[in-house]
Amino acid sequence: MQQPRRRVAITGIGLVTPIGNDVRATWASLDAVRNGAAPITLFDASGFSTRIAAEVKQFDDEAITAPRRLLKFANRSHRFALAAAEEAIRDAGIAPTDDDAQRWGCAVGTGMMGVAYSDLSEVQRHSAPDGTIDCRKLLTDPSAADPLAFCRSQSTAGVALLTRRFGISGHATSVHTACASGGQAIGTALKLIRRGAVDRALAGGFDSMISPVGLAGFCLLSAVSTDNDTPQRASRPFDATRNGFVLGEGAGFLVLEEWEAAKRRGARIYAELAGDGNSLSSYRITDSPPNGDGPIQSMRAALADARATPADVDYINAHGTSTGMNDRSETAAIHAVFGDDAKRVFVSSTKSVMGHLIAAAGAVEVAICALAIDRGEMPVNANYRESDPDCDLNLVLERPRRQKVRMTLSNSFGFGGSNSCVALRSPELAGDTQ
Amino acid sequence: MRSRIVITGMGAVCGAGRTPEAMLAAIVEGRSAIGPIGGFDTTGWPVTNAAEIADFNARALVDDRKLHKLIRRTDMVGIYAGDRAAESAGYAAYRDALDEDAANAFCDRTGVYVGSGAGAFENQYDFFPLMAAANGDLVKFGRDLPDTVNPMWLLRTLPNNVLCHVGIRNRLKGANACITNHSVGGTLAVIEAAEALRHGEADRALAIGHDTPIEPQNILYYDQCGLLSHSVLRPFDLRRDGSLFGEGAGAVALETEAAAAARGAPILGEVLGGGYVSEASGLLAIRDDGDGVVRAIEAALADAGIDAADVGMIVAHGNGTPLSDASEAAGLRRVFGDRCPPVTAFKWAIGHLIAAAGIVETTIALAALRARTVPGIATYAEPDPACAALPVASEARTPRSDVALVLCRGFAATDAALLVRATPA
Repeated sequence: MQQPRRRVAITGIGLVTPIGNDVRATWASLDAVRNGAAPITLFDASGFSTRIAAEVKQFDDEAITAPRRLLKFANRSHRFALAAAEEAIRDAGIAPTDDDAQRWGCAVGTGMMGVAYSDLSEVQRHSAPDGTIDCRKLLTDPSAADPLAFCRSQSTAGVALLTRRFGISGHATSVHTACASGGQAIGTALKLIRRGAVDRALAGGFDSMISPVGLAGFCLLSAVSTDNDTPQRASRPFDATRNGFVLGEGAGFLVLEEWEAAKRRGARIYAELAGDGNSLSSYRITDSPPNGDGPIQSMRAALADARATPADVDYINAHGTSTGMNDRSETAAIHAVFGDDAKRVFVSSTKSVMGHLIAAAGAVEVAICALAIDRGEMPVNANYRESDPDCDLNLVLERPRRQKVRMTLSNSFGFGGSNSCVALRSPELAGDTQ
Repeated sequence: MRSRIVITGMGAVCGAGRTPEAMLAAIVEGRSAIGPIGGFDTTGWPVTNAAEIADFNARALVDDRKLHKLIRRTDMVGIYAGDRAAESAGYAAYRDALDEDAANAFCDRTGVYVGSGAGAFENQYDFFPLMAAANGDLVKFGRDLPDTVNPMWLLRTLPNNVLCHVGIRNRLKGANACITNHSVGGTLAVIEAAEALRHGEADRALAIGHDTPIEPQNILYYDQCGLLSHSVLRPFDLRRDGSLFGEGAGAVALETEAAAAARGAPILGEVLGGGYVSEASGLLAIRDDGDGVVRAIEAALADAGIDAADVGMIVAHGNGTPLSDASEAAGLRRVFGDRCPPVTAFKWAIGHLIAAAGIVETTIALAALRARTVPGIATYAEPDPACAALPVASEARTPRSDVALVLCRGFAATDAALLVRATPA
């Protein structure tokens, strides 16, 4: 007999992505397969080996209703976070009050780029004119004395803004496991509600690495596609000619609620946040084991945690970065976990349309899974032309596939070997495991 | 009946020593590791002191020289502490005696939870030579990039490097997290690891916290925000004027009681429970009534199923800033009233280790409980009416029980409380 336990409902979604600045626009772009990649406009990238990215477009701070003074503490990724969180809270139709603020939690996957390039550049010009930091010059450096620049640079800047903006005074945490961050943040929030630490949570991820230093990091590793002349074709997960990911940016947030509390208030429930699985590859820092070891354990753990089997799953939103190594390893893992069911279960990587949102990716993709269940539609794995025998998956090709979706998995695997898998279940079926 | 979570190993390094016992010995003798900063020239600086690891020897901390090119100083100390905890918990010795399937299961069922300091400034200075040469010309920046910057730059700066490399070095493959939540990161790693074990996600897990915040730019910012002392770190003292940085890492090996018993692991103590909250007041502001401290402690006591009267000693956050210490004292007063057990703090001797602070102090607290002492705060001299009636002292006292409450406060107005019990030595 399995112990009864608290279940968790997804009742609000907010998105800021390279293909839309809210849920409606993002979903419409996925539906129409409108690709978000283009030549970089945020800075002059013409000297870089990769000159394309999937930028958030026409983002307007006016979309954030937070007090203007709070925005002084926000860098680009924090602004995405504030906007997406606001949409999620509005969508859920519930927000923390003075009476229940302590029963709300917040868990975010946060990017690794604390210091904005403009701030770094000012310090370099003033205090390292010849390339080496001079501590005497630093002492009189106005940007090294600017508390606002400091606040924006902190790893907790995002969670501080969100908890203050929405008055969340329970468990509030930031996690970073590279590209697995967003998924792990959602998993963290799931467990907080399950174990009763909080009853509701704002959970998600945000990132923006489309800056000279951020892009440089990936160019140096040859991790990003160099298809500068065909940006919209550059991200092609599972295709035989794939040659790296397309760097994206954005934020995704969910409002999570203890199931019975959500039911009592008559909330719209997109899906049950049913399970979380998380493992460490302990193989190499960037590479995934070719046999899928690591991701296999995270997928199995997510299914077990959701009290489900591979036969229950209809759709996998793959990590699918469009790098040679990841897509092969992930394919091997899906085969190992699903066996014959791998022929049936549909797979797509939405990074094929919106690029790789790094620390936000996992959260945005869990949100897409919730929408897939809610709308009965699985997004396309775009740009797939040439099959790779090492990536023989049942991909959603050509057009989105409309069908009832019972359960989904969302995979996110990070540099450093952390693997996250989040399982969602249709609300109609959520009672079955009681 | 929930399962007990036992502590089977520890590791720690900071300016005051390379084991929790060595740190305790220094504290008991009234020796502070805080002194003039040697890492850079502080001539003319408002802040000149910190608790550096004076004899920092990378090879003595991490034997794999090839790995040194892929990690930073903060990762070295984190890997060192994690390795020591795994070693003292006897992971490899036990696993190597198992058959292959059982050994693989052992690896899959062992997790790693890390509180990482993230957000350092110096790692981005690697771009300064390129930026100076490009002189604002981003086209040149992009073109010269591959010839100027270490191709592994991004990997060296990953906040989750300790998680990655402790995992690889010790073949740990289970549930994991890298928590980048400023000062509370290390304590949260312990709380999250214990919860994961209670809920069956793993049988055992390392919890690690690491940080090396003694960077010039970081010091200037903290000083600008009024957080650093221009003299001596004096927790709860009337003359206190701020905190001072330290550097280092701590780790504890946690295990379900059943798994530890099954492999005959040494039992050093137990994690009884934890509590964690936010005051929702922004990045730097905190409430003066200790609201977060009170709620964190009450949550920890409820989680552990014990009463305030069961607590034998309190290791306060005691960072030496006027506002934090006063509000912490107010919070302790609200929870414990006039029956507060002896309160101490360790930052006067080891500095503020930021993400590593709470977990290093937890390892010292366990060593202190085992030695049946509440070490005094050697820099404490003049009581502050704002911290009235708080039982802090400059001399050592005896703990009232084998249970310690360790408090930890961080940016984003976060407060964590951890309750641990020590097994008699």
